[in-house]
Amino acid sequence: MDEAKANIAASPLPTEQTLRRRKNLVFQAWRFAALNLRMLTMITKGSH
Amino acid sequence: MGCTVARVVVLGAGISGHTAALHLRRLLGKAHEVVVVSPNSKWNWIPSNIWVGVGKMTTDQVTFPLAPIYKRKGITFHQALATALYPEGSPDMQSPHVSVKYTEPARLNETANISYDYLINATGPKLNFAATPGLGPDGYTASVCTAPHATEAAAQLAGVISKMKNGERQRLVIGVGHGTCTCEGAAFEYTFNVEHEVRAAGVRDMADITYLTNEFELGDFGVGGMTFSQSGFETTSKLWTESLFRERGVNAVLGAHVEKIEPGVINYEQVDGSKNQLGFDFAMLLPPFRGADLQAFNAIGEDVTSEVFAPSGFMKVDANYTAKPYEEWRAEDWPSTYESSRFPNVFGVGIAFAPPHQISRPRTSPNGTLIAPAPPRTGMPSGVMGKTAALTIYDRIKMGPAATAHRASMATMGAACVASAGTGLRHGSAAAMTMYPVVPDYQRFGSTGRSVKDTFGEIGLAGHWIKYMLHFAFIYKAKARPLWYLIPE
Repeated sequence: MDEAKANIAASPLPTEQTLRRRKNLVFQAWRFAALNLRMLTMITKGSH
Repeated sequence: MGCTVARVVVLGAGISGHTAALHLRRLLGKAHEVVVVSPNSKWNWIPSNIWVGVGKMTTDQVTFPLAPIYKRKGITFHQALATALYPEGSPDMQSPHVSVKYTEPARLNETANISYDYLINATGPKLNFAATPGLGPDGYTASVCTAPHATEAAAQLAGVISKMKNGERQRLVIGVGHGTCTCEGAAFEYTFNVEHEVRAAGVRDMADITYLTNEFELGDFGVGGMTFSQSGFETTSKLWTESLFRERGVNAVLGAHVEKIEPGVINYEQVDGSKNQLGFDFAMLLPPFRGADLQAFNAIGEDVTSEVFAPSGFMKVDANYTAKPYEEWRAEDWPSTYESSRFPNVFGVGIAFAPPHQISRPRTSPNGTLIAPAPPRTGMPSGVMGKTAALTIYDRIKMGPAATAHRASMATMGAACVASAGTGLRHGSAAAMTMYPVVPDYQRFGSTGRSVKDTFGEIGLAGHWIKYMLHFAFIYKAKARPLWYLIPE
């Protein structure tokens, strides 16, 4: 088995809870707000 | 003392050039002229070409005509290809100018010289399909680099899905078609959007999907990978990406330089020097980039192209181009003002500027083949660079040529990227990532090169909503609708 295949096979899978959270509308609405805030913070770093 | 009347010429109307032109027009009084030269009649929100490529959007949804926008905003537009720069003037024309050849149908192939006081080179990439025999829509593989290419890719994909529905197993290969390609993030996006569509079509078990890349490890993305803080541990983008590949059953071929493509067969070499073949029924491989084919001449007509542009065709700016090994690369090597190293009133922004070197560690096979992801210049940094050059030019027009340049180095700039992994307001997903800074600074941040607090990745439906929102937001901004400038680059 080549190294890429072996690494992929050995990598962790998301838990059922993680998979549910990725699609849960309420949880993802909160993540939408949080990610936008994080991205906005990122955008303001560095140019002047 | 500033200029009473100035003309700023922007070459290119992509994310960087169009952003620069709009900001210049917004800031400068009507006495000053803002000119855009672009061979394309339409603006393209390239990040959404991925969705055109899987048939979820049309060309009309990701492009719009430039001329009406420029007319409304008072920007002079030449639909033409820039061919040569004369930054010192020429025997025929004393003022600095650019030669252009029209692509506008009414003036097709006519040539003209356009003088300038300031020039922004935002010509973006030349899609160098010719670097790999058989690569591209004129060869045997699809592309999503332009909206028309992506439309063709979607049609081919639909054909492959149809075959799978008829019981024929299909091999789908997506990735990059040369050892020095960039935009691995886009290839990653297209891979998982294709996987999503194949699964939604109910034929996932009939598809072998392989990601073929020049990255040495998954999660490199041309930026040397990232380290995230997750659940109290530091995790790498390598592990995070490998997990997604395992979850979605996608294979990977790493460290690959595609040498030649024949009907149904990709011939490639890997970093260890081995030569292999990969059969395909559908393949989308991105081309490597070169700079636009621009020449430069001095006042007496001597060719000074090599003084202004790197051999790659990208414009040399305020970067440290001294050749040195990976271990000696520094964050300070990267440019911050984007001023031409040769002419202070000329700027190179977005993909048009010559990077000092890669970001990821370059590798060479025992056969001497360079396999090294080129540094990505994604939408956000490109827009910031365009605005930065515009602000500098504005200050110099107002206050004189000695006005301090604005700065925005990729080594002090953060970036946010959203890599779609499948569409659908209820069932889509995307990997939302931030990194600070884009170019790692190991002196400042230690072994990870970046702020672990500010470097982050998350997969979920929210990421898809963000990418979808950004599609509309950036098209609104690019159309210069009311308060467009409040939307950050």
